Amino acid sequence: MIQAFAFYLFATMLIASAVLVISARNPVHSVLWLILGFFNAAGLMLLLGAEFIAMLLVIVYVGAVAVLFLFVVMMLDIDFAELRAGFVRYLPFGLLLAMVLAVEMIFAVGAWKAGSLEMAQRLVPIPSDVPNIEAIGDLLYTRYLYVFEGAGLVLLVALIGAIVLTHRARGGIRPQNISEQVKRRPQDATRNIDQPVGQGVEL
Amino acid sequence: MIQLIVFLPLLAAIVAGLGNRTIGNVPAKLVTTGALFASCALSWPIFISFLTGGAHAHVVPVLDFIRSGDLSVDWSLRVDTLTSVMLVVVTTVSALVHLYSWGYMSEDDSQPRFFAYLSLFTFAMLMLVTSDNLVQMFFGWEGVGLASYLLIGFWYKKPSASAAAIKAFVVNRVGDFGFSLGIFGTFLVFGTVSIPAILAASPDMAGSTIGFLGARFDVMTLLCLLLFIGAMGKSAQLGLHTWLPDAMEGPTPVSALIHAATMVTAGVFMVCRLSPMFETSETAQHVVTYVGAATALFAATVGTTQFDIKRVIAYSTCSQLGYMFFAAGVGAYNAAMFHLFTHAFFKALLFLGAGSVIHAMHHEQDMRYYGGLRKHIPLTFWAMMAGTLAITGVGVLGVFGFAGFYSKDAIIEATFASGSESGGIAFAVAVFAALLTSFYSWRLVFLTFYGKPRWEQSEHIQHAVHDAHGHDHDDHAHAAHGHDAHDEHDHAHGSVSDGTAGYHPHESPWPMLLPLAVLTIGAIAAGYVFHTPFLDAEHGAAFWQGSLAFDAHLMHAMHEVPMWVKMSASAVMLTGFVIAWFAYVRSPGIPAAFVSQFRILHDFLYRKWYFDELYDVIFVKPAFAIGRFLWKRGDEGTIDRFGPNGVAALVVSGSRLAGRLQSGYVYSYALVMLLGLAAAATWAMVG
Amino acid sequence: MSYAESLSLTLSEVILAAGALVLLLVAGWAGDKATRLISWIAVVLLAVAGLALLGPAGAAFGGQYQADSFAAFAKVLIYFAAGASILIAPRFFQLADGSHMGLRAEYPILILLACVGMGMMVSAGDLLSLYVGLELNSLAAYVLASFMRSDQRSAEAGLKYFVLGALASGILLYGISLVYGFTGTTAFDGIAKAYGDGVSMGELFGLVFVFAGLAFKVSAVPFHMWTPDVYEGAPTPVTTFFASAPKVAALCMAIRVAVVAMGPAAHQWQQIVIFAALASTILGGVAAINQTNIKRLLAYSSINNVGFALIGLAAGTQQGIAAVLTYLAVYVVMTIGSFVCVLQMRDAEGRPIEAISALAGLSRSRPGLSAAFAIFMFSLAGIPPLFGFWPKFLVFDAAVAVGLLPLAAVGIATSVIGAFYYIKIVKIIYFDEPGEEVFAANNNVVETGLMLLTALAVSPIGYLAIPVLGQLSDRAAGSLF
Repeated sequence: MIQAFAFYLFATMLIASAVLVISARNPVHSVLWLILGFFNAAGLMLLLGAEFIAMLLVIVYVGAVAVLFLFVVMMLDIDFAELRAGFVRYLPFGLLLAMVLAVEMIFAVGAWKAGSLEMAQRLVPIPSDVPNIEAIGDLLYTRYLYVFEGAGLVLLVALIGAIVLTHRARGGIRPQNISEQVKRRPQDATRNIDQPVGQGVEL
Repeated sequence: MIQLIVFLPLLAAIVAGLGNRTIGNVPAKLVTTGALFASCALSWPIFISFLTGGAHAHVVPVLDFIRSGDLSVDWSLRVDTLTSVMLVVVTTVSALVHLYSWGYMSEDDSQPRFFAYLSLFTFAMLMLVTSDNLVQMFFGWEGVGLASYLLIGFWYKKPSASAAAIKAFVVNRVGDFGFSLGIFGTFLVFGTVSIPAILAASPDMAGSTIGFLGARFDVMTLLCLLLFIGAMGKSAQLGLHTWLPDAMEGPTPVSALIHAATMVTAGVFMVCRLSPMFETSETAQHVVTYVGAATALFAATVGTTQFDIKRVIAYSTCSQLGYMFFAAGVGAYNAAMFHLFTHAFFKALLFLGAGSVIHAMHHEQDMRYYGGLRKHIPLTFWAMMAGTLAITGVGVLGVFGFAGFYSKDAIIEATFASGSESGGIAFAVAVFAALLTSFYSWRLVFLTFYGKPRWEQSEHIQHAVHDAHGHDHDDHAHAAHGHDAHDEHDHAHGSVSDGTAGYHPHESPWPMLLPLAVLTIGAIAAGYVFHTPFLDAEHGAAFWQGSLAFDAHLMHAMHEVPMWVKMSASAVMLTGFVIAWFAYVRSPGIPAAFVSQFRILHDFLYRKWYFDELYDVIFVKPAFAIGRFLWKRGDEGTIDRFGPNGVAALVVSGSRLAGRLQSGYVYSYALVMLLGLAAAATWAMVG
Repeated sequence: MSYAESLSLTLSEVILAAGALVLLLVAGWAGDKATRLISWIAVVLLAVAGLALLGPAGAAFGGQYQADSFAAFAKVLIYFAAGASILIAPRFFQLADGSHMGLRAEYPILILLACVGMGMMVSAGDLLSLYVGLELNSLAAYVLASFMRSDQRSAEAGLKYFVLGALASGILLYGISLVYGFTGTTAFDGIAKAYGDGVSMGELFGLVFVFAGLAFKVSAVPFHMWTPDVYEGAPTPVTTFFASAPKVAALCMAIRVAVVAMGPAAHQWQQIVIFAALASTILGGVAAINQTNIKRLLAYSSINNVGFALIGLAAGTQQGIAAVLTYLAVYVVMTIGSFVCVLQMRDAEGRPIEAISALAGLSRSRPGLSAAFAIFMFSLAGIPPLFGFWPKFLVFDAAVAVGLLPLAAVGIATSVIGAFYYIKIVKIIYFDEPGEEVFAANNNVVETGLMLLTALAVSPIGYLAIPVLGQLSDRAAGSLF
């Protein structure tokens, strides 16, 4: 009973905050709604018994990602009003579309209710004796090693991409070149000049 | 050997046609003429071996043609008596016409093309007569049609020639449509297109019926009539005859070869080839008889009023073809073939003779401007005389006669001997047409060769006289003649009244006279020499060897007809001669008086029974109207508008629309994606 | 199966991934000076990875990775296209933009990593590995699209691609989660089993969403909207890459999902594929007509071609799949060839020209290039005797064989529309009066060689390859059934 109540609470809040994320006029508000959404999602995870993922959500998404978003949003100088003008223009149609989708979702859920979840086919039955974190770790590095490595490559590409698209080799700066400096000899650096009187020094 | 006969002309046509100007006039002419004479030389031995009974029908396979389901068609060459007769006719006349054209076409500037066409025609005609199945026959049939089209329109810069070529082609389409329907029907009924197989199976089919156009018909009658429609088109029978007189726009050698001796007889040949089929349907035979008789009568009447020398001969051809058809209709196929054989010689002779006259008269073809040519071109005159004697059927019973005497009289006797009602009508028509034949043939001779010269009214002659100076300079070969003409011209100012306008007709060169001589021999002797094997009841059966439906009974009956029947032809021939002599030699005023007296009748005949006008109203104008309607409303207004142009416009506007959708805004792109997703989801849910 | 065995089955991906990492270090050490060397090494790596495909077939990592002849066929095409895209890049970037000191070393590395992702896509036996591979490829592609970051169009193209790609990924992911939720598994064989027991509404929705996500990747209508803008904005070598390798990967991935995972639900997805095929061929043909930019035109051409390939998938038979594979092989060659031709459109300073009108009268100044252009255009239009005709014939044949006569008929009709704009280019090249633009002469051996090679392959000589190509594609398709 309480579980059901919690589920509906978290779910409602999650959806509401998700809506507010995209509808809030102030981008900072959006990020704040997002944080609320993450919290609610974490709550849902908890209800499912996935406490590790719930904690990850709070720590990584709320603690790191969302805060980063917040900083970025606050630092960017974007005319958000103009950006949103386009969105508003498309809003009515978008809503209509969303309604269609929503109606269909309801049908889908109804169908789900009618049919049975084929739990027998689940690759990984929920272990009861192992802690969540251990179970995930076990899967990640054994069964899903391949996908895990692939995900690692995805992150690498994202990294490279970020650098490629933002890194600029600035001209006119003089960075240190240590090996050049160490290799320098006096004869390279100085020279003797017999300077005649009355003439400028030739450098 | 038969392969050589058939394919030498094709080879020559390819060499001359593709070589064209690069190989020059003389080589092209040499190749084609040489090939034809070789073919001719090879053909005669075949014919003679059949004549002496030393040869038997056989089929020489060449190549596979079509293999599709039940349908199997081969290229193969059939040699039997009927084929051998056609072989000598085709190759002989063709070879002579080739030779004749050396002279007649000597001033033309695209001679290789002309000779290539001629050889191509000969090849197609040989394919036709040697075919062992209906499909190959149709190939030859269309091949000669094509060559005929090309040759009628040979002087394509002349609008009338182009129009005549198109007319010949289109009118023949009607016949060919019937022919092809006949072939389809034959295949449907017999399951084969092989002629021997069809002929063997025909008697069993007699009496069965078939559904066609929603009604039931007798199978054999329907097939024969469909095939006969094809024959009518090709052989210019009444109804589909209108193209033949117009085809005279082509060069005269072409008229002699295609429109007198060979192609137009293809219909007769086809009926004879398929004679066992026709024998199974009395109705079809009657139709053949009536159509033939009507054509003979019609063409002969029209022939009496025409002034163009070639048109007279053309109508004469038409009329003679009618004779052949009603001979076939009453069952005397061998008589039809014999008339075809002799007719080829004397009609080719007449045409080539007319060509010689035209050549002499500087391309004037109107007989009203001829006259008195007997002394100027005596050799041509004698050749024409032989031809006229042959066509009118001069001869003394039991002694000797010119070619037409044997063949035409045989037909007249056969119609009488057949004893049927249609035969009786045909007999009456035949006799009357013979009278007319005699009249118009002698009219032609008298107008052309007798009387006083009436050349001065001819524009062609006036041109020739006035251009004499020009000839002096640019034509060395004619220098002397041009000089003469010049003198005469000066002289002519003094005495215009002799009607010559100072023009001197000249006899044709030897390449033209030699064929005339050969054909003259044919016109004189062909009947006498060959009438026994062709017509005789006993010899005939041995000669034909079953290659056509030979009715020995009828042949016997022919000999037993009353004397007045046998003499009727000669009698009307003499009558016609006398009328013509009175009207055109003795007192030349008669025709004019007759014309003014019977203006309506004369106009009716002169206008060719108003066939062209009738067709113009019934077919051509409505066809043009329908064509214009379908073109403007149907094609442009409907098909083009909603078809190609409509689709093109739709595509262009669609392209514009797609361009507008491609706004460049991510919003709209995402919207389209989600729209597509929603549509797909809805579709999946509903469907 | 031990990890060592599994790794040995994924040898080509391992080679490429490890090679990319090493090259990244080299690039970090030597800087952009080493780009040329890195490019060549990358091409060699692709060739080695291609050779590694000759290794044994089998399922690795518990079925998440499938090494079969289908994957091998697709990968050969992908590696070839990737190699070509690397080879033609340095010269373009050197000439295209004054502010750049040539091509940066990350370009070949990103392409290598994208190839790893595409390899994962075509070998995926599990929705998870499919998604990871897809994202790996996509992320690399987003970066590549805006590789000329100082160029506004390039940056815009990258951003558009990214935003819409993220949306498509979301749709796909949502579909995957639906499928997982209703079938309880992400493995293809398990999904097939679940779909075989009857398709519930939820499973149907999952299918629709998954196919929508895949349709974005192959740029099938109506998920094609990004294609013209991105193709136009991205640097030409990158566009070459986009038009060839990821198309092959995405289509092959879609085929595997459709046939292996959702084969029992063929009746359901067939409708979607037929619609996408029809819409793609029609729109690709119609919308291209008004284009004035050659790259945009080729973008629509690629949409059009994807539509034809989807006709083969719609047939859903082994014959149809084999036809699609043949189609892709020929399409890759034609596309690379035509883009190399587009690369030749440079003004005297080497800046790229993209207006179709600039091609006017090209036949007089550059007869060789014009002939190549004409060959590719006629081949794309599918006019015999050029090789582009053959795969079109195959897909139509496959469609007719299963009774999809109307689909084939519409396909043929739209290829007529397509022929219009292809031949229009030939007309402009050969019959229009030359304008003022004079293209710089081509003195690059690599580009000339590629152009010659691809032109020969799509010329009638290509028909000699039919027995081999037919056998390979048939075997590849057979490994799915």
